[in-house]
Amino acid sequence: MRFNDAVIGVVLMLVAAAIVLYAQTFPAFPGQDYGPSLFPTVIGCALFIASAILVVRGIVTRRGAGWAYFAPWTREPHHVVSFALVLLALVLYILVSDDAGFLLSSFVILLTLFVWLGVRWPLALVVAVATTLVIDWFFGGLMRVPLPRGILNLIS
Amino acid sequence: MDAVATAFGLILDPYVLMVMGLAAVFGIFVGSIPGLTATMATALLVPVTFFMEPVPALAAIVTTTAMAIFAGDIPGALLRIPGTPASAAYTDESFAMTKKGQAELNLGTNLVFSALGGLVGTIVLITAAPALAELALNFSSFEYFWLACLGLTCAVFIAAEEPLKAIISLLIGLFVATIGIDPAAGFPRFTFGIVDLMGGVSFIPAMIGMFAVSEVLRGVVNLQGIGRPTQERIGNIFRGIGPVCARYWKNFVRGSVIGTLVGALPGAGADIAAWISYAVSKRFSKQPEKFGTGHIEGVVDATSANNSSLGSAWIPALVFGIPGDSITAIVIGVLYMKGMNPGPTVFLQNPQFIYAVFISFILANLLMVPLGWLAIKSSKQILNVPRNLLLPIILMFCIVGSFAITNSAYGIVIMLVAGVLGYLMEENGFPVAPAILGLVLGEMLEQNFMTSMIKSEGSFIAFFQRPIAGVLGVVTLAIWGLMIWRGLRRTQPVPQ
Repeated sequence: MRFNDAVIGVVLMLVAAAIVLYAQTFPAFPGQDYGPSLFPTVIGCALFIASAILVVRGIVTRRGAGWAYFAPWTREPHHVVSFALVLLALVLYILVSDDAGFLLSSFVILLTLFVWLGVRWPLALVVAVATTLVIDWFFGGLMRVPLPRGILNLIS
Repeated sequence: MDAVATAFGLILDPYVLMVMGLAAVFGIFVGSIPGLTATMATALLVPVTFFMEPVPALAAIVTTTAMAIFAGDIPGALLRIPGTPASAAYTDESFAMTKKGQAELNLGTNLVFSALGGLVGTIVLITAAPALAELALNFSSFEYFWLACLGLTCAVFIAAEEPLKAIISLLIGLFVATIGIDPAAGFPRFTFGIVDLMGGVSFIPAMIGMFAVSEVLRGVVNLQGIGRPTQERIGNIFRGIGPVCARYWKNFVRGSVIGTLVGALPGAGADIAAWISYAVSKRFSKQPEKFGTGHIEGVVDATSANNSSLGSAWIPALVFGIPGDSITAIVIGVLYMKGMNPGPTVFLQNPQFIYAVFISFILANLLMVPLGWLAIKSSKQILNVPRNLLLPIILMFCIVGSFAITNSAYGIVIMLVAGVLGYLMEENGFPVAPAILGLVLGEMLEQNFMTSMIKSEGSFIAFFQRPIAGVLGVVTLAIWGLMIWRGLRRTQPVPQ
């Protein structure tokens, strides 16, 4: 996903403008000339100017090229799903790991990714179980990270 | 001297040595797999070192990175794919040597000069850091403000290819650093009522996202990327090293010096050190026509340079809290977590930890020769690890690692956002290093500015009234002037 500099520039200009406007709502403190809004305002203004230059440069150097360029892999559905699956796995883990627990979430995510990426079923199953158990032992046991127990709470 | 003895005691502890041994294996593995970088290795290591004492934690990072930067040379020579970006400068040269049947000589040279270059960087670190720390004891918020400015400027100045995109990347990093409670007045900025954001964007999960998740995203759509090694059997790699040393010792010295300088400058690390020293080597060679055809000369320069930069990058990190490269950016985060806030006082309060870092650098570079030899011997097995197994496992480690830092899903959210942002930035030619630097230095910049302003009662002149601050200020402003002038000159011929 490569975009023309102008497209990125416009997005960044909007972000910069939002930063500057929002920073004006920060309170000023009596007796102090420089409050919490100073740095965000300066950074936002600089970002706005730099992005504006980027827009101009993007338009000048475009020469008929598209506004966005998609790498060859984006035309292969298999790869697109691979990419989406990684993001989906992360979102899913964030949403459900508390209720489902680490062991189940990790196993399902690993197994799905392995199989989709072409690992044979038996190997995928073994490695998914082994990795989950090793991480649980190392982080959960040795390092005492409070990995979510989730469904384990139902049994004990 | 007491502190030195204590430091030796701390490092020669069997537990610490075991950690270093494991870290070395981890570093070699990550370094030799294309797509996994030394920075990623460090970011993934932090959650593991989270619960360790400071010395084993720092020794593990030192060892991992030293090994990873060397090991990146192995797939460069055998597959024509650099294992880490630091080897990219001379990958074609190395591969050309392999095709000429000189894989052994190339790998042997890479191994020996990586270790030697690493030692040069370490020696400079050992001599320069305490001296600078002594000087820095007198620094006040004015000096630190200018140092932070200089550090940020370096990040843009060195990325000469696309200064505008480097500036934007830097500003993004600086903006992200303003999220959370502001350092002067205690007002929560850009938190939108989210309690987790009050403390700012958690740095280590952001680094894991930027350097590991983005690589996983790149990797899963490019699984067929690596082929089979051209040469599977590796003979005696140390044959012919003697003559190379005798003939090219000047290249080794020059490469190490360039690497050390580039490493110590904020924002540029091993990869840029290798590119610059390779270019310098070609420029001043008596046989520049041989470069690119499988000629060992430039490899000596560049492979010494990238390892020597590792040690010197710790100089500004330890003394000023300004990272010399993206690895030491993470190190600074680790130092804060361990309660050893970087700065000159750490040299007074905890000198044994500083000496322990020095010793672990020396030990790591000495260990590199036997372990590197083993790695080269088993390169066939390492390079054959299937990536469709490796990438999901890395992703799971990222998830658990980020979770471990914040003990909540908040860390994973930060990692996800940073991962997507890092991926998009790299795809569109925005260098990531300036953003990291902005994120690390943002608070330091603002805090020292605010403190200085309060001290001077709002007068800007005070920023130039102390001698060292004045010099730093003038240098900073001069570099800015130069950059604006260069930028204006460059933009004029563009509209045709």
